[in-house]
Amino acid sequence: MNPQQNDYHFSFFKPTTDSARRNRNMVVQFVLIWAVAIFGFQILLKILEKPTPEPAYTLFETSWGNFESGKFEITDLQNISQSALSVLGKMAIDPGHRVALDNAVSWMAYQIADDTRKNDLVVAVKEFEDIAAAITDISDEAYLEKKNSLILVFSNLFDLSPLDVRGKIAPLEVKSSFMESFDADSRDVFVEAMGLYLVHNRSVLTDAKFLGFPFHYFYTAVFLLILFIWLCWMYCIRTDMFNKKYGIEE
Amino acid sequence: MKKLLLPTIILSFPTLLQAATAATQLEGGFKVGPAIILITILILFVLVGIVFRAKDTTDFYAAGRGISKVGSGMAIASNWMSAASFLGMAALMYGSGYHGLAYVVGWTGGYVLLLILMAGQIRKYGKYTAADFIGDRYYSKGLRATGAIIAILISISYCVGQFGGIGLLFKWVLGINYSWAVIIGGCVVLTYTLISGMLGVTKNMQIQYVIIIISFLIPLFILTAKFDYFWLLPQIGYGSVVSDVVSGLPINETKELINSMGHNYAIVPAPEYAMPWDPPTGKTFFQWIAIAFSLMIGTAGLPHVIQRFYVVPKARDARWSVVWGLFFICILYWSAPAYAAFGKILSSHPEVGTLAKDAIVVYTAQLGNIHPLIVGLLAAGGVSAAFSTVSGLLVAGSSAFAHDLYVKVINPNASPKKQLLFARLGTVLMAIIVTIIALKNFALIGQLVAVAFSLAGCTIFPLFLLGIWWSGSNKQGAIAGLITGGLVSVIAITYFIAGKSGVTLPAHEFISYWLEAWYFAWIGAPLAIIVHIIVSRFTKETPLEIRKFLIETVHS
Repeated sequence: MNPQQNDYHFSFFKPTTDSARRNRNMVVQFVLIWAVAIFGFQILLKILEKPTPEPAYTLFETSWGNFESGKFEITDLQNISQSALSVLGKMAIDPGHRVALDNAVSWMAYQIADDTRKNDLVVAVKEFEDIAAAITDISDEAYLEKKNSLILVFSNLFDLSPLDVRGKIAPLEVKSSFMESFDADSRDVFVEAMGLYLVHNRSVLTDAKFLGFPFHYFYTAVFLLILFIWLCWMYCIRTDMFNKKYGIEE
Repeated sequence: MKKLLLPTIILSFPTLLQAATAATQLEGGFKVGPAIILITILILFVLVGIVFRAKDTTDFYAAGRGISKVGSGMAIASNWMSAASFLGMAALMYGSGYHGLAYVVGWTGGYVLLLILMAGQIRKYGKYTAADFIGDRYYSKGLRATGAIIAILISISYCVGQFGGIGLLFKWVLGINYSWAVIIGGCVVLTYTLISGMLGVTKNMQIQYVIIIISFLIPLFILTAKFDYFWLLPQIGYGSVVSDVVSGLPINETKELINSMGHNYAIVPAPEYAMPWDPPTGKTFFQWIAIAFSLMIGTAGLPHVIQRFYVVPKARDARWSVVWGLFFICILYWSAPAYAAFGKILSSHPEVGTLAKDAIVVYTAQLGNIHPLIVGLLAAGGVSAAFSTVSGLLVAGSSAFAHDLYVKVINPNASPKKQLLFARLGTVLMAIIVTIIALKNFALIGQLVAVAFSLAGCTIFPLFLLGIWWSGSNKQGAIAGLITGGLVSVIAITYFIAGKSGVTLPAHEFISYWLEAWYFAWIGAPLAIIVHIIVSRFTKETPLEIRKFLIETVHS
């Protein structure tokens, strides 16, 4: 049908010429690829995902069960502390959660320490807090010396290897004011925080690796962009070919 | 003048080296090396602007339509790669992990829509501005004026984030407070936009693209090499950084890898960084999809992006310039997530403290112990990115003010001299308004910019989409669609501003979640399109000459 016969009415879905029809089909094809590649993949991620705990959470669950039942050993307290430090090592933590986590770690440290050394531990932590409050530069010698001695103390108390980064952050999270009590409210917030920060949406697509990336991350951050350029490039090539074929001068 | 540019840069280089300071503190006072680099680059921009300044109104609006498709692609990329791309994307990923990738996809995927659905046709339509198209296609002076006002609002909204970025970087380099940094940065960008006009801006943009991309990539090569990753292609090499963040990185036994504050290059497992819509991030699947969708349709509705297609000589060039533009854009977008991943590890020690997310690109380079001059170049690249976008936006906004409002609606007989005067007046007015809003520091740069995208997606996008592809789309439909899209926009933005001002409106939580300011177009745009179609169906059809023009010229 030529445009005049149609009184110059047209729409994307009702093209008036053969070239317009082919262009319409091409646009539909490209938009479909585009939409499925972007949204289809995210929907697939959503369908396949399962809440998956970190190893630290599994460790915590077992030891916390023992702790709650009252049948716990030093190892359970160490496991709980290690798991709590795993959360404290993450950056974006709600301030309320951080307080409960600090409380847990501080109280556990106090419980784990020998009875004869509990007071020394509190004094050492207080001294470090005083130095930290007074300095403006973290390269201050007294600060570094005290921090390094506490790193050794806490790594030992929590049974952490010297290469475990959690030992390095422990002196900054253990607070003297939290060492002697860990009330029920704090415990509730602590358990909630552990579940929130240590359980993640994972699937085969997030666990598989590609070029060093988690696969889903590579797909979204790298591949989709390549696909977009390819779609644009192909569209231009095919449009040029159509225009040549139908003798369209622009 | 052109001959003086290169020697000026070469002569200033030894000064830069001498001025290099061991400024490793993340914040703090005046940083000499970075400041000299920044000032040198700004002077370079102004000089280029003077050399290629606009001679008349045609030059000012559409750069004489004499730019090649690769050059235009570079200009598209430079225009596009704003503070939101340079600083904001890494900030969003640093703060919300995989959620931030919705912005990467949204800000690139939209170009596919733009190309397939609009680029060539817009060029064939042959107008100067978005409002020109709307006024002509919908045969209405009122719609032209409304289109112009919306274009100005979008430009202002988009500029606010840019001024925020300029403020942050000026604050970092000059050691002054944020408010003064925004004011000084605003004055500088305004000066050179006024001097150069669009032809100068386009030439500037090609230079700016090169500066932006080089300044962004150099620190990344250094970071990947320094921390033992595949440095030849950091855009792939950082994949292992992401995996290290997910699985945790113990302290290295054999190599002393530390950040500039002396902390080990190590991190506890943090899968929330890469896992999709992970609970600790507080972000959901719906938000990811809504943001990506809103940004993509917003891309195809942004006046200053659409306007770039008037600069190329032919429709074919308009199409190919998108391919080139997207390629140049992607070079930065492949790289930005790497800064966020490195930043995550390098700032993981609690002693680093809470960093301003929007400056994480610069902080990452600093924490990675990169030479202060290179960090200075990076910051200058960030300023350059913001400048290139702001200049394009100010031109688009002032075009809407002078061309679409003043000449086409108020005074059709205005002389070219008067038109240029009004264009410049519009630029100044916009810059003042943007500065005032930017001083409020409402949200992250990327989020502020996303507001402009949703606004464009709800208003301009439906008008262009239906206007180009359906002859039945008429004035009444356009008005109804515009009212619908506008209403959704007003509701979303009102709730956003109220929330930021501490005011709770009815159903605040519900509206804030489903119509958040950075993704309200997910529903606003489809609603506007549906209303536009329904009203068009039941009202007087589009005049014959417009239907004829669409078939014979736009879709020939």
